[in-house]
Amino acid sequence: MSHLTDKRILLVGGKGGVGKTTVSSALALLAARRGKKVLLVSTDPAHSLADAFGCRIGDNITRLIDNIDGLELDPDREVDQHLERVSAQLKRFTRPEMYGAIEKQMRLTRQSPGAQEAAMLERIANTLTLGLKEYDLTIFDTAPTGHTLHLLSLPEAIAAWTQGLRNANQRSEKLAEVLEHLTPKAGRDIDNPLSDPKEHATAGMDARTKAIAETLLTRQRLLQRTRELFQDSEQTALLFVLTPEKLPILETIRAVKALRQEKLPLTGLVVNRILPEDAGCDFLAQRRRQEKIHLQQIDQEFADLPRYPIPLQATDIQGIEGLNSMADLLKNAGL
Amino acid sequence: MKLSDLKALFDRADHCAEEFYNAPYRAAIARARREQDDLFMLLVFSEMMGVPNPVSYYTLELQPILLERFHDWHQRMGMEHSPLDHIKCC
Repeated sequence: MSHLTDKRILLVGGKGGVGKTTVSSALALLAARRGKKVLLVSTDPAHSLADAFGCRIGDNITRLIDNIDGLELDPDREVDQHLERVSAQLKRFTRPEMYGAIEKQMRLTRQSPGAQEAAMLERIANTLTLGLKEYDLTIFDTAPTGHTLHLLSLPEAIAAWTQGLRNANQRSEKLAEVLEHLTPKAGRDIDNPLSDPKEHATAGMDARTKAIAETLLTRQRLLQRTRELFQDSEQTALLFVLTPEKLPILETIRAVKALRQEKLPLTGLVVNRILPEDAGCDFLAQRRRQEKIHLQQIDQEFADLPRYPIPLQATDIQGIEGLNSMADLLKNAGL
Repeated sequence: MKLSDLKALFDRADHCAEEFYNAPYRAAIARARREQDDLFMLLVFSEMMGVPNPVSYYTLELQPILLERFHDWHQRMGMEHSPLDHIKCC
């Protein structure tokens, strides 16, 4: 029987506070038990992976336990490096007294909307490449829904935009070639038998145009590859976590719709923290009645998706031991 | 007159004729190319004209490459002075 852990990439999403980190950590343990080498990546700017495992992780690959490495992506670092490269380039073109202005502009760009997301996307794309190369399974513990959805649709938006830029640039190059053809070869091959006619092909294309084309092309390739990987249901699975409560259900309904629109392979829902039947007392019985309604709604709304119910635990799930028991629960639920 | 001299003369005549016939097309093509380049610049620098650019972060690294064309472009776009804080070309 094939398990969800046989995939190469697992994305875990859901509303804030429904237990994404716990579920993804437990999934990592489950996969490791099945003999996989796992890379567990947190893309939430407010990381909690380290808290779940009770150790420091940060923006470097850290061995958590045998066969599981952890990584907490920090988009700030990526943004800083990117801006540093750009401002170093810009400084080559301007007078030293303008350096201050450049620095200021770069500081402002750092805060601009989209910079963090774009940097995060780039990190994810690069991490994905690494994960596919060196690990059997890469699990992404993603940020709360809105953010994740945006991130998942970003490769397409950016690819379309860069494609547009490339087209404009290419048309310009084509016209340049025509122009070259129409321009008499004045002073080049007339009375000049020494010139090599083969040189003309590249003589018209200056280094600048090439640099632009290459910059655009590299990024477009990276993002398109990421997008294709995310959409490939053979390699990728998307798991959504929700709790039987009103708001997570509503958010999940929206998310499921959006994910289907983006043609992302949503493979199932983990329904977390269901009250156990045997828990006594009036208060809890009342809660359970309320919860029944929500569970029914979940069954109705997501009838066509596999659902994996996980009961509420008496204590917090913490450390390797807690995560191991959670992994058992996930396994019992059919993952 | 040597044969090679005659050949050179023909070459020159050919060159002049080519120049003469191509001139109008060349101007049109050159204009089309410049318009294409202007569009490209507009896409890269759209943010500063108030058009949101989804990839402004990624186009940032194109700015240094385009810097030399920048002055002509912003003048053609009807902006007398550089609208960018960090590039003061004029």
